[in-house]
Amino acid sequence: MSDVALDPVVDSTPRRPRLFRNPWRKPWGLLLVTLGYLLWSLIPVVIAVVFSFNAGRSRSTWQGFSLRWWTGEPFDALFTDPSLRAAMFQTFRLSIITVLIAVPLGTAFAIGIDRWHGRPARGANFMMLLSFVVPEMILGVSLFLMFTQLIDNLIPLGTTSQILGLATFQMSYSVVIVRARMLSIGPEYEEAALDLGARPGQSLRRVLLPLLSPAILASVAVVFADSVDNFVIVRYLSGTADSEPLSVKIYSAARSSPTPAVNAAATVMLVATITVVLVGYLLYRRFSKGQEPADVGGFAQV
Amino acid sequence: MAGRHPMENRWSRRQFIGRAAGGAIAVPSLAAILAACAKPGTTESGGGSAAAVGLARPDNPVELPLNGDPIAASTPIEEGATLQVYNWDAYMYKKVLKAFEEEYGVTIEWTTFNNMEEGIQKLVSGQIQPDVFFPTTDYIARLVESDLIQPLNLELVPNLASNVWQSFSDPGPFYDLGARYTVPYTIYTTGVAYRRDRVDDADASAQGYDLLWNPDYTGEIAYYDSYRDAIGMALVRNGVMDPNTGDPASITAAKDSILEIINDLDGQLRINGTFAKLPEGEFTVSQSWSGDIVGAKWYLPKGTGEDVLGYWYPEGEPGLIGNDTIVIPTTAQSPRLAHEFLNFFLDEQWGYTNFADWNGYQPPFTTIDPDSLIADGVVAPQLNKAVVTEEMFTTGLVQSQLAPEVDQLWLDAWSEIQAGG
Amino acid sequence: MASAEATAEPQGGKRSREDQAAGRGGAWFPRWYWPTFTLPGTLWLVLLFILPFYTVLSVAFGTVEPLFRTPLPVYQPWYWSFGTFDTTLEKFYVSPAIYQEPLIRTFAYVFAASAICLVVGYAVAYYTARYAGRFRVPILLMLVAPFFISYLMRIYAWQSLLQPGGYVDDIWGIFAEPVNWLSGKPVTVILGLVYGYIPFMILPLYGSLDRIEQSMLEAGRDLGASPFHTFRRVTLPLSKPAILAGLVIVSLPMFGDYYTNDLLGSQNTSMLGNLINLAVFQPGQGQEAGSLTIVLMLIVVIPMGYYLRETRRAAERA
Repeated sequence: MSDVALDPVVDSTPRRPRLFRNPWRKPWGLLLVTLGYLLWSLIPVVIAVVFSFNAGRSRSTWQGFSLRWWTGEPFDALFTDPSLRAAMFQTFRLSIITVLIAVPLGTAFAIGIDRWHGRPARGANFMMLLSFVVPEMILGVSLFLMFTQLIDNLIPLGTTSQILGLATFQMSYSVVIVRARMLSIGPEYEEAALDLGARPGQSLRRVLLPLLSPAILASVAVVFADSVDNFVIVRYLSGTADSEPLSVKIYSAARSSPTPAVNAAATVMLVATITVVLVGYLLYRRFSKGQEPADVGGFAQV
Repeated sequence: MAGRHPMENRWSRRQFIGRAAGGAIAVPSLAAILAACAKPGTTESGGGSAAAVGLARPDNPVELPLNGDPIAASTPIEEGATLQVYNWDAYMYKKVLKAFEEEYGVTIEWTTFNNMEEGIQKLVSGQIQPDVFFPTTDYIARLVESDLIQPLNLELVPNLASNVWQSFSDPGPFYDLGARYTVPYTIYTTGVAYRRDRVDDADASAQGYDLLWNPDYTGEIAYYDSYRDAIGMALVRNGVMDPNTGDPASITAAKDSILEIINDLDGQLRINGTFAKLPEGEFTVSQSWSGDIVGAKWYLPKGTGEDVLGYWYPEGEPGLIGNDTIVIPTTAQSPRLAHEFLNFFLDEQWGYTNFADWNGYQPPFTTIDPDSLIADGVVAPQLNKAVVTEEMFTTGLVQSQLAPEVDQLWLDAWSEIQAGG
Repeated sequence: MASAEATAEPQGGKRSREDQAAGRGGAWFPRWYWPTFTLPGTLWLVLLFILPFYTVLSVAFGTVEPLFRTPLPVYQPWYWSFGTFDTTLEKFYVSPAIYQEPLIRTFAYVFAASAICLVVGYAVAYYTARYAGRFRVPILLMLVAPFFISYLMRIYAWQSLLQPGGYVDDIWGIFAEPVNWLSGKPVTVILGLVYGYIPFMILPLYGSLDRIEQSMLEAGRDLGASPFHTFRRVTLPLSKPAILAGLVIVSLPMFGDYYTNDLLGSQNTSMLGNLINLAVFQPGQGQEAGSLTIVLMLIVVIPMGYYLRETRRAAERA
């Protein structure tokens, strides 16, 4: 959208303060919609967390504060029910391994596709973008049928197939993020390095990868958060109990007999994801310092 | 070779896979093609052994063929094993599982399915290879025929003979004479649960099945989301006293009755209507397995007495009745330990704990006496109809295996229900 | 998600870069050098994205084993039979057309939910980009916060809020007769869908609105345009690509959604995704699951193709 940019002089005309004279005057309606939306979107999250401390079994009627569903119940609290703990670990295991596979593959793909032109490259890029937009349901059912039918349990449903499925779905995210960054850096830095006598491997390691690091970090955070959130793929590809991640447990519980222990588990996941994203953001700021203005907005966009 | 489909007549996927291994897209081997040349449909009607001996019915009990021998009684118990248990959600008391783990020094992994079809589907596909599985009786013959479950060594399950109603071991249940493959897990009737604070007992008895079709309870009606149970009760309610009927008109009428619940009465099809939502007050009436209403007390909010729970089951005419079973799949990694597990749940004490302290589903133990259940507070007095007795099985209506073409009728009706009509 | 669009917007000017790649770049790198980078990802997708879909075709056009009637896929296209697929298709339009209603519902819900996403999302994005001032960062954080807790968990929380006796009931009850929100109310399902997917609309819109220079708007006003006019003539056209991208990005997954309805709706709000999900686990319905998946694919192929074409066009324009 850089073509939209006008002469920056216009930007500093004295008229500018007019917009700030009374910023609250006009957009009352917009403000209301925004506040309403934020409330609407956040209240369920707050409710989910708060009710993990409910003294009663209900997840809709507050019956007092208690740690019953965290530690108290002998078999059904978060820390006493091995299946809930296992589900949390499974969620983390899947997400971390998915990051380790999808991000390197996606980064390499993005670098290659940015420099490689021609018909096969367009085909590969098309396939990648297709995997980016295809509804998860289609991929989930297809993978389920492939693992159960085509290769007939060669790879049993469970952790391995879940990771394969998640990595397939998530790879395109890191491609898209890294590719965007590739486009904005352009080939000049690398060419300069090559002009100065660097070998291709060196220019990749010393120049390109450091320049890409903010995008790689962003894709780590996005792939991680989205894998934690994933439900459709991991459910179709889950096998025995130990391979059911938390989202699947929540779904089963919501349809049978949920207890606030499920809320407790989700709370732990919330804290964990926020931690990962926050660390990612801080590192992102650090790495991207001096390269381009990086604000939360830029981070949020990816 | 016109119309030959390479896999048309294969019922054993394992055989086919064995041949095609390594190249799934390869043209099937000669043997597969020859097998496929058999006229399509010859093995389909009724399905193999079932076709030979007829579908198991209470008046047509079957003795299942033995797939090989049971494990030897001298087999050592697998030490430190992980026992894979595949069961419905919330259908076993974790305390009992823990006791088993401690007694044998093993780990139990418990995987759940949401309905029988999903459970069977994952088992058949080989995706789940449990040591212990809890099927409904209508699947037993097919599980045996496809060699998915193994014969039991009853010497290793002495509790079957000593604690369980004799009819389950000698002559054995109609679906498995001689208890070659199965032991019973729980027994239950299917009736209607209601809130006694909103419907009084006399009124409930007068209404019977029509409780579920009463517009007074619009928006407060729950119905099971499992096709055999759902359509089965609608059939009986419509006066068709055969929950295995193949009559298209009856099935269509039953389907319309269920759609009436969904569309006109704002009812909901869900598994947790009785045991979780009725006690919480969300529903006034719900289709109910007897075990669900007995277990519902655990879900009552604080301050709500157990006397709000009511259960109706027909008197003087046959009602729906059934039992679930425990089996050991062929693929079990720890078959000996699995036998111990079966025996453990048929143990007088642990089986009773599982029932009384958690799931509400009664095991068919000779030691369980309806009066003492009420006296001990396991079953609330007004829920006395939810206690199952051996006599009820003699007249009860049992859901059993359907012939494939009949099953298809049921499933088509079910698809239509799921699509919201 | 906004960056899907960004992918397609090379800032450097494509022609000159291609010249470089072909000219000087070619001297540094052997022909196979860059393709090698894409090879692992490409192979991965062929094996785990293209091949699975071929399996769906093989299942849909295959047969079933007679006992449990689980599907038996047929991998050789010359053996494919289209009987089950035809039967499935007929359920959409041949009386009694039992799948017609779910199909219509799917389109109606997706349309309604996407429209709400757009209107609400645009307002929120517009406010955040233009008026939020120093609250911009906190608001942005709150906008992405729902991503950090599982979607299932949030829908589950809604379930508890909406159930009879829940807080929504308490508040609603002050003004009107209590409503059983979870008994298959289209409005519940549509709002559930909006809730689940609207962040994917807001973020690209925000990204796009944020990039519109303040000076452009001022230029408009200086030339005498009313605020509304400025919005219509400047802001809206400039954000059009983001609107279209957002609409596609929210509506595509909605077409395949089944869990929102599973937790918040009932059979009389069931959508195409529900039919697929049920068929996957119903014995004898495996082929139908495959057939319905193909139907879903056919439905989304148009918006998907549109999106991919626009992405490429945007790349060429830049």
